[in-house]
Amino acid sequence: MARILFENATKRYPNGFVALENLNLEIKDKEFVVLLGPSGCGKSTTLNMIAGLEEISDGNLFFDDENVNFTPPHHRDVAMVFQSYALYPHKTVYENIAFGLMMRKHPKDDIDRRVRDAAERLEITHLLERRPSQLSGGQRQRVALGRAMVRQPAVFLMDEPLSNLDAALRISMRAEIKELHRSMQTTFVYVTHDQAEALTLADRIVVMKDGVVQQIGTPDEIYEHPANMFVASFLGNPPINYLEGVLQVEGDKVEFLRGDTRLAFPADRAKALLDMNGRKVKLGIRAEDVDERAEAADGEVVAGTVTSVMPVGSDQFLGLKVEGEELFFRVNKDLRHDYGDRIRLSANTARLHVFDAETEASLIG
Amino acid sequence: MQTDRHLQSAGRAPGRSINYRRRAEIFRWLHRAVILAGSLAVMLVVLSPVAWLVSSSFQNEAEIVSVPPHWIPDQPTLKNFKAIFAATGDETVTYETRNKQDPASGDYIPSTAGNLLPAMANSFIVATLVVILNLLVGIPAAYAMAKIRFYGRNGSIYFILTTRVIPDIALVVPFFLVIKNLGLLDHILSLVITYLAITVPFTVFILIQYFEGLPDELDKAARVDGCSRFQSLTRVFLPLAMPSLVAVILFAFLTSWNEFLLALMFTQTAASQTLPIVLASFTSDFTISFSFINAAGLLAIVPPVIVAIVFERYIVSGLTAGAVKG
Repeated sequence: MARILFENATKRYPNGFVALENLNLEIKDKEFVVLLGPSGCGKSTTLNMIAGLEEISDGNLFFDDENVNFTPPHHRDVAMVFQSYALYPHKTVYENIAFGLMMRKHPKDDIDRRVRDAAERLEITHLLERRPSQLSGGQRQRVALGRAMVRQPAVFLMDEPLSNLDAALRISMRAEIKELHRSMQTTFVYVTHDQAEALTLADRIVVMKDGVVQQIGTPDEIYEHPANMFVASFLGNPPINYLEGVLQVEGDKVEFLRGDTRLAFPADRAKALLDMNGRKVKLGIRAEDVDERAEAADGEVVAGTVTSVMPVGSDQFLGLKVEGEELFFRVNKDLRHDYGDRIRLSANTARLHVFDAETEASLIG
Repeated sequence: MQTDRHLQSAGRAPGRSINYRRRAEIFRWLHRAVILAGSLAVMLVVLSPVAWLVSSSFQNEAEIVSVPPHWIPDQPTLKNFKAIFAATGDETVTYETRNKQDPASGDYIPSTAGNLLPAMANSFIVATLVVILNLLVGIPAAYAMAKIRFYGRNGSIYFILTTRVIPDIALVVPFFLVIKNLGLLDHILSLVITYLAITVPFTVFILIQYFEGLPDELDKAARVDGCSRFQSLTRVFLPLAMPSLVAVILFAFLTSWNEFLLALMFTQTAASQTLPIVLASFTSDFTISFSFINAAGLLAIVPPVIVAIVFERYIVSGLTAGAVKG
């Protein structure tokens, strides 16, 4: 049971590098929070601070109502799973899983029961006497999970736990971690740079960049209403497309203009843009927000020349030269296209994003 | 068969076929033979002095100088060893008492023969103390420098390394003054202190390299699992660092066991003299008995050999562990 609260937390390294700046974040009890960002954005630092492995240079960190700024890791009720698994190579799987309980002086029979329970849940009972070097990557990952699980900690921390697994295993482990969270009923903080992991696992996502939080929200909020271009670019595959242009407001009608391209915003999107006539903006169109087969009405057309065709099994990515810029769209794979074809796509204008060209902040909530 | 031969001779002048299988076999045998011959040659160079040391320690003075030398003694004798173990060390030596002995027949032992066993004990005590203190100082120092970020971390590592590039001889006079002011001249503690000054930097250096090779995440995992820094060191790092610890133990032990220069400066009597000093003194007696010196030399190499055999299985990985990360 733990609520985690960061209050103006800052991490400064001796060489002056600021890894984390003024973090304010409340993680509710039993919540699954994913810290998402590129490498070096401060997400692992945040996790290490929760674990007590890094000191907080400024600000406060609370577990429930207790300030834990200076509490050493072994006196915090946290467990952690690492990207490299960090199993103790000189101990057997059993000893690895039991180590945390042993250090906390649990009775022997209790340790044995818990280790065997965890092993059974993770289906690694037959591996208990082996050493980590004799295990495959997936098995090691399970042992690392088991080591954290048996402790039944108040806070469960995971630092890119799936990054070293192959693609198929990663997806099945995602499901298991979600199930683990459901059954353990404890607070999870999960660090990743993989947007798909973040979107599938999180109750809430914290998007970070250069030590600064960009946006906090549910996966839907983050995906549908990105606060700025960084957040918009970080989620989505292929990434969101941008087209620079100007807004034109006539009465309650708002349009985006760029060369021959003219896109009209539906009323609810237009509301926020009414006083921005002539503003330079960047239009964001997600790759999947176009439809090729629909008849494009005026003000919904994105037209261009095909520059690349990349089938990805279920559908295909289409490179399209629009107004001199190359945009990528995800379209149905049954539609055959060749390089140089001139095509028209119908954009889903209800899902367009508009960002300020200067500040890169979103102009529609 | 036809196509086989055709394939084998492809690209060659017609009519000439080469049996590649046979050729590969010949090369394989040749390869083994060359390696074997090479190893034998190296072994000969390395082991023959040791063999002669062992053999001659069982010979008397007359046999030892015979030409050609006897690799296997004609009349093996334990006289030299008896002299070492029976010597009292308190006989008075004069020109007259010496003169009665006949060096050629070997019926004579150096006046300082009785110092040998006490010197060996001194050497052993010094070496053991140096090893223990090396580990006590080196392990925490190396762990701190490898795994804890603090101001001046790089500076201290370079500083420690710098002390290794100063030749020992340059330090003799300063060392001597320090030891003299501490009132430790002719005391084995003087050797322990100065040997530590020489060995600890190297120990720290080897261990830092090894600890740095162990992933940081192991340290983090241990601490989240409930270890303090110190427990993380003893429960996780030390068991994994075994090879480098063995390398350090061997290095510190052998350095102390063999050291001559500082021991020569700081020790004066049998109370503190170590083995190399006493061994060397046998060559400056009235007359020199080579068979006796060889017997003493044989005893001198026994402890290091035992240490090496005990730790043998760790040695190779330990010595390379310090050199290359990982």
